[in-house]
Amino acid sequence: MDRKQYCVKLSVQPSRGLMDEKFIVLIQNALPGSQLTIRALHQCEDGHSWEAFGHYTADTTGTINVSEDPSIGGTYSGVEQMGLLWSFRPIPGSKSGLRMRKKNIQTPMEVTISVYQGHQTEGFADLVPLSGVAVERWYMAPGVRRIPVTEGGLTAALFLPSGPGPFPGLLDLWGGGGQLVEYRAALLASHGFASMAIDYLTAKITMETGKMVDNQYFETAYRVLQQHPQVCGSKIAMIGLSFGTSITLKMAVYSEVIKLSAAVCISGSHVQPVDGSVEEILRFFQKNGEKTRFSEKNEVIWRDLLLPIPTDPSLKVNVGRLQCPLLLVVGEDDQNWPSQESALDIKEMMARAGNSHLLTVLSYPNAGHLIEPPYTPHARSSTLKTVEIEEKVMCLWGGQTVEHSRAQEDAWKKMVVFLRENLYGGRNPTSFSHL
Amino acid sequence: MFRAHMSVTRIWQLIEKRMMSCISVRGKLPGLQRAVGEVRRKSSFRQSPLLSAAPVRALIDEQISIKGRFLSQNYPVTVCAQMHSEEGDLWEAFAHYTTNASRSINLTSDHSVGGSYLGCEPMGLFWALEPALRSRESLRLRKRNVETPYIVNISLLEGHTSPSEGQSTELAAVTVERWYMAPGVRRIEIRQNKIVGTLFLPPGPGPFPAMLDLWGMGGGLSEDRSALFASRGFASLSVAYMGHKDLPGPPDIMSVADLYFKSAFQLLQDHCQVDADRIGVIGLSFGVCLTLRIATRIGVKPSCLICINGPVGSPLLDEDGKTKTIESDQKHWELDDRGRVSFRHVSLPDNLPPENKQKVKNITCPLMYIVGEDDLCAASTENADVIEEALRSAGKSQLFTRLSYPGAGHLIEPPYAPCARVSLWRAKPEKLFTLWGGHPAPHAAAQEDSWKRILEFMETHLRR
Repeated sequence: MDRKQYCVKLSVQPSRGLMDEKFIVLIQNALPGSQLTIRALHQCEDGHSWEAFGHYTADTTGTINVSEDPSIGGTYSGVEQMGLLWSFRPIPGSKSGLRMRKKNIQTPMEVTISVYQGHQTEGFADLVPLSGVAVERWYMAPGVRRIPVTEGGLTAALFLPSGPGPFPGLLDLWGGGGQLVEYRAALLASHGFASMAIDYLTAKITMETGKMVDNQYFETAYRVLQQHPQVCGSKIAMIGLSFGTSITLKMAVYSEVIKLSAAVCISGSHVQPVDGSVEEILRFFQKNGEKTRFSEKNEVIWRDLLLPIPTDPSLKVNVGRLQCPLLLVVGEDDQNWPSQESALDIKEMMARAGNSHLLTVLSYPNAGHLIEPPYTPHARSSTLKTVEIEEKVMCLWGGQTVEHSRAQEDAWKKMVVFLRENLYGGRNPTSFSHL
Repeated sequence: MFRAHMSVTRIWQLIEKRMMSCISVRGKLPGLQRAVGEVRRKSSFRQSPLLSAAPVRALIDEQISIKGRFLSQNYPVTVCAQMHSEEGDLWEAFAHYTTNASRSINLTSDHSVGGSYLGCEPMGLFWALEPALRSRESLRLRKRNVETPYIVNISLLEGHTSPSEGQSTELAAVTVERWYMAPGVRRIEIRQNKIVGTLFLPPGPGPFPAMLDLWGMGGGLSEDRSALFASRGFASLSVAYMGHKDLPGPPDIMSVADLYFKSAFQLLQDHCQVDADRIGVIGLSFGVCLTLRIATRIGVKPSCLICINGPVGSPLLDEDGKTKTIESDQKHWELDDRGRVSFRHVSLPDNLPPENKQKVKNITCPLMYIVGEDDLCAASTENADVIEEALRSAGKSQLFTRLSYPGAGHLIEPPYAPCARVSLWRAKPEKLFTLWGGHPAPHAAAQEDSWKRILEFMETHLRR
């Protein structure tokens, strides 16, 4: 091996970043014109290993800048500054249906980025890299505090930013998989929002009594948040993904307790029995269970359960009565929920009611259901255990990796701007067509 | 829509209607009664502003960009940084800004109009830090434990004020961490072959170019520079040579000699993750003298040398490479009107016996000499002249590079650290303070620029 290759310098800046922060990956002092592979490796909490890599050619100065130079092969191609993270896939030999999700958000995601001679595609474990660096990716900024919340029977976690406050508040809901999913709330707290992640399907009270929570559970969460001395009680928003959208829209329109300054609904629908409790809504979905389809790989497709979008008003949240700005995020290849059809119907309903100035729709071709914070890998399908079904199924979420990853990045950026402008900005409710 | 404007009665009505059923499940909603009043007081008329920093976890030599947003227009604010040293002292810095039509401030582009620094200084909140207590004035900020970060709290205060006034309203805050060690850098204590030192290795397989890292006569073992070198891809060994409990002899004398430094250099050469042909030496203050000695007398061949504010020779360093105590010869000490000593004249070339000067003409590798022109501890400019002349006479001018910084003092260290113009030299038999020199702003500029140039010099001579 050319001696000079030992002097290849790899740097990643910043080496400690937040999960949604971009980094610059730079190679210097390589042999001009040499072929190199840059590879990222991560072992997640459940022990599975993920890798991503790109093939590059050093320029005449012996430099490769991943933000400016194209990858010509690997798990991503073209100029992709963050490709080493969003194109992560399980290493060969891993079991199928994996999805990368961090449970312990108080420690960073650790990624090793290395550079190898030549354009390698496999067998990395047997190769000695020319250089390697360690990178940390954090959900929590320094000073952000995690406070478990059990008041009023809640199973929740509140994340408070540093500083005196008062901070605008955020209620954060995920979907049918249940559990207390904290990472998005932790990241939003790192951006200045007092964010409460809520478990509403597998809450302690449900596990102990066997009974699903009712609407008051969410109102309790709102109250607890609102009355926290460091929360600005009149600036609270709600964000929901998937089934979390159903709850968010219901609360935004019908609750006499919850008064939102803004709502973000990702990959969901307004279709539900409007007078229904959580349990009744779930039963409504189950009733349409025979509309479940299967892909050729036997993955479950649930998007038809709510189609066609009903005309019966008792089966749709009356979004014409919404009084706060609403950001809808839609993946056009969502195979789990009919989010695109729902978004169109919501738009029509609001246009008829005269409040469409409150609505912003972000719609992404070839993005799937799981539109998550950026630079985490796309799962087109994964194994899922929902509260309704006992055994795990392979669920088709949809989306093509490149477009889905772009959608995550774009939607997140716009979502944070939307939340900032509505919760910090103090403007009158308005649409955000400039987003 | 505005909860804050509702009467307490109305709030209680709603609570009764909606909440009591779920409250009764658990018995109480602690703090509710107390909190209601607070809600009315604190909830928002006032739009909270947002203070942000990026990155929030930075290396010591990385710039942090600080912004305040969602303020009012033409609004005076104070940005304040506070942190505790390892000794427990509070250090703080502050600056006055005024928002414009954008209702925001950005420390990367806006100008401070008052406080610890003036003008556009993106990192001013760090290099202008001072002890909060006047009584602890002559402190030097140093991190002994480089494995943990400095935690700095940055806050946004209403109006143009100073933290010591204590009256101001805190509008927002953000916490940042500043690290000496990048993730994956390994810290290894070295106590072998009689060497007392700490080795820092970058992450990755290596082999790495390396540095031998030498400090001054203050003694002890300083790890901060080596930790940063490793974070930038260079293995680095910092060695103690006096004033350390693991070294032989009394603390105020260097009881180790040439063989000690040769062993240290060889430790690097022999290390399987170090490229034996790419090792440089860096010295600050008395460390310069040692650096020149290592390059010319002890049978090793460094690839490059970096000398910061130090003498070409010392009356305290004898032929065998051992020192006398610094107290033993005080004739060139200068005391100011407050009894603080400047050692500057000790190292004036005219005050150095010729036989004590290192044989610079025998140097065979590139040498960069860094001068703080306000150095009150060493005669840096004069010594740089001597070295430059010696190399020129030997036909080796091309090896010499000089960086010279007006207003900078003796302690030119990694960037954004506060300038210690004076600090405690010794506590016994009685306290003696020494003058290092330097003024905050030019010293900060010198540290920032010289660090960049040092790393470039190392890249050029150790990696290409």
